[in-house]
Amino acid sequence: VFPGVRQAQWLTKTKLVEGLPPAVQGTVDNPALGLQELEERARHVVSHARLWDTAEAAPRREKYCPVLFENLIHICRSMSGKYPSLRKRMLARNCRIAATWERESILLQVRGLSGILMNSMTPIPPVASKEEILATKEHVLETFYPIAPTIDLQEVNVYKELNDTGQCFRDGYPYSHPHTLFFLESASVRTDRFRPEQLRAKMLMFAFGNALAKAKALHGNDPKVLEQPVVVQSIGTDGQLFQFMVFQLNTTDLVSNDGIKNLVWIDSDQNLYERAQCVPEVKKRVVTKPAGISGFQPDTFKKFLALYLHGTV
Amino acid sequence: MASLRVRRLLGSSRRWFSETVPGAPSPPASPLYPPVVASITAKSKAAKSRRLQRFNQRVHAAATVEEKLRLYGKLQRPKYTVYPQTFALNADRWYRSFTRTVLVPGMPPRAAAAKRTVAAAGATPEAGRAPEPGVEAPAAAEAPGAAEAPGAAKTPEPAAGAAPSLDIGELRSLACDALLQESFYQKKKRPFLYRDQDHTPGPFLTQLVSTLAASLSGRNPLLAASSLDLNPEVNYYWHHGEEVVVHGHRKGRVDPVRFQIDDNPHLQIRVPKQLPEVVPLESDLGDVPVIDHKPSKLPLFKKQYENKVFIGSKVADPCCYGHTQFHLLPDKLKRERFIRERLEDQIEVVYRSNGIASLFAWTAAQAMYQGFWSEADVTRPFVSQAVVTDGKYFAFFCYQLNTLALTAETIKNNPRKNICWGTDSKPLYDVVEDGNVKGFNDEVLLQLVLFLLNRPKEL
Repeated sequence: VFPGVRQAQWLTKTKLVEGLPPAVQGTVDNPALGLQELEERARHVVSHARLWDTAEAAPRREKYCPVLFENLIHICRSMSGKYPSLRKRMLARNCRIAATWERESILLQVRGLSGILMNSMTPIPPVASKEEILATKEHVLETFYPIAPTIDLQEVNVYKELNDTGQCFRDGYPYSHPHTLFFLESASVRTDRFRPEQLRAKMLMFAFGNALAKAKALHGNDPKVLEQPVVVQSIGTDGQLFQFMVFQLNTTDLVSNDGIKNLVWIDSDQNLYERAQCVPEVKKRVVTKPAGISGFQPDTFKKFLALYLHGTV
Repeated sequence: MASLRVRRLLGSSRRWFSETVPGAPSPPASPLYPPVVASITAKSKAAKSRRLQRFNQRVHAAATVEEKLRLYGKLQRPKYTVYPQTFALNADRWYRSFTRTVLVPGMPPRAAAAKRTVAAAGATPEAGRAPEPGVEAPAAAEAPGAAEAPGAAKTPEPAAGAAPSLDIGELRSLACDALLQESFYQKKKRPFLYRDQDHTPGPFLTQLVSTLAASLSGRNPLLAASSLDLNPEVNYYWHHGEEVVVHGHRKGRVDPVRFQIDDNPHLQIRVPKQLPEVVPLESDLGDVPVIDHKPSKLPLFKKQYENKVFIGSKVADPCCYGHTQFHLLPDKLKRERFIRERLEDQIEVVYRSNGIASLFAWTAAQAMYQGFWSEADVTRPFVSQAVVTDGKYFAFFCYQLNTLALTAETIKNNPRKNICWGTDSKPLYDVVEDGNVKGFNDEVLLQLVLFLLNRPKEL
């Protein structure tokens, strides 16, 4: 009906900040990390995923989207030779998330397969300063009167309020802090894929769900303002367009509409490359579009890497 | 005919008279008549060999590797599909005869040398460098390793330039974490019917390899530039031996026996530089089994479809050499099944046949990507490694491709053989109970780590 992120903001009592937080932006601009050499590898990796990966002419999105993601993660993981603390990370696929909360007397629940989750042994330090958190008190949540905020949400009868502490992991799991969620829109048919706006809303809801479950595991089920905010990141892509998000849960007191709000930083619609041409396009015996990757944006990859390194560097 | 001959003589004599300068006859610039060769289109053995020669010249003269591959696999005829993961009895003997491979049990000497240098406490940069092949290397590497050991034991932390010693404890904890996460900590639904391997061992293998490769990439720059493929495709097509066509409109003709391997390893690592050779190109380490039966007795079945040669990515990829493959055995070939049918000796055969067939296909496809083929044999050996596992038991293989010339004509004077070193399958752990891994086997982990650390001498 209208942009999904605004609705998700109301449901999760969140204030939106455009662009990435300064801590992550600092990592992107930091030259000491040697991100320039990785640019060449990133270019190769994109070519591999989009052009070279298959014995047929061109790989389909169901193939190239996960392959591109795996290759990017492989580059990021190989940085753990330089930063040994990166070894304290573990990827978990197909994990199910379930979290419930109350929002102005409406019981809401997030459930489902949340894509690929990266856990780490140490939590991400809070991104926003104390003043920023307190400043959210004045922020008024956008309401959609007369449309109910639960529009387009499925109403189900919940008999068991599930709050899987640690998401889908048992107690004693060493990598207990959710770090980043990855969402891959790899359906071939365009209508099966989420549009960027909907993808951002989905990312926000799942990041919130993971953060809430973690907060409840750490501090109990009572709604309160968190001393140590929980930070969960989220990256969504359809193989070409990337959405980056950093979510900070400041409070589990979600019933009322005022007070401290949660914060989310969103950097949306970052193109990794303009187009990937498997076979050169020839019109009237003249090559109009040569084969290969054109319009590669190294900044998008740098942001991906910065989000990966966030918390350890 | 007599009149013609007379006319020709008169003609030549007339020419001779009209020459004003009776000097030596000028040597003909080119032969007066074209060379007498067999016809191209006739139904004769000479014509067939001429057609084959023209085809070989066409492939030799191909401009790009893609064109060469296209011409090489252009003609589609029924061929045997060779499956690396097979339940056929004694399949590894058959596969060795198809691919002209010698099986040497145990690991090659360079891996043993590397093991000794790594096991010596306090491996220094010298030992950290690539272990060299050859028998004299172990002795030379031992001496500095042993000499540096007391020195390194005194200095607690090596300087920033030196490579620190291999911390088996940390790698063991990584492996255990991966195993525990997949089998214990992560709540998963029950495995689908006959899909047990996709439930736990598959994800465990992926996690293990990716985390180990990432943590070892600081030590091995080749891994830092590598490309990790998940569930790639590896194909190879070749001719070996001859047979007579049994039925059909081509009945009675002598045809080469065609084979095709279509393999899907669980994981593979491709690198931009080639692994060093283990033994020289012409070495002879054993015998290739000779099997007198037709391949269909294995059982092997014929199908006709596209002749693909593929290493996992196209020719344009800079990572065109193979490093290590990881294979996961499916549920159909699990150990309990063989024990139940009283075929315990076939368990190792499964691992070996998978290793030999997959590695032959991969190394041969890599060689074809460099422009070699059966008529243009390899000038340097191609080496790759593989780990075959069913989740708990690991078997390690190292393959050196010395020759691609396996067709009936080229194999006649070919003394070279391909070599495969392989171990038996050993368990990595005994059992996982209550969040603990019991009976973890460090040797298997060490062998895996050595495989991942393998790199050319220059790096």
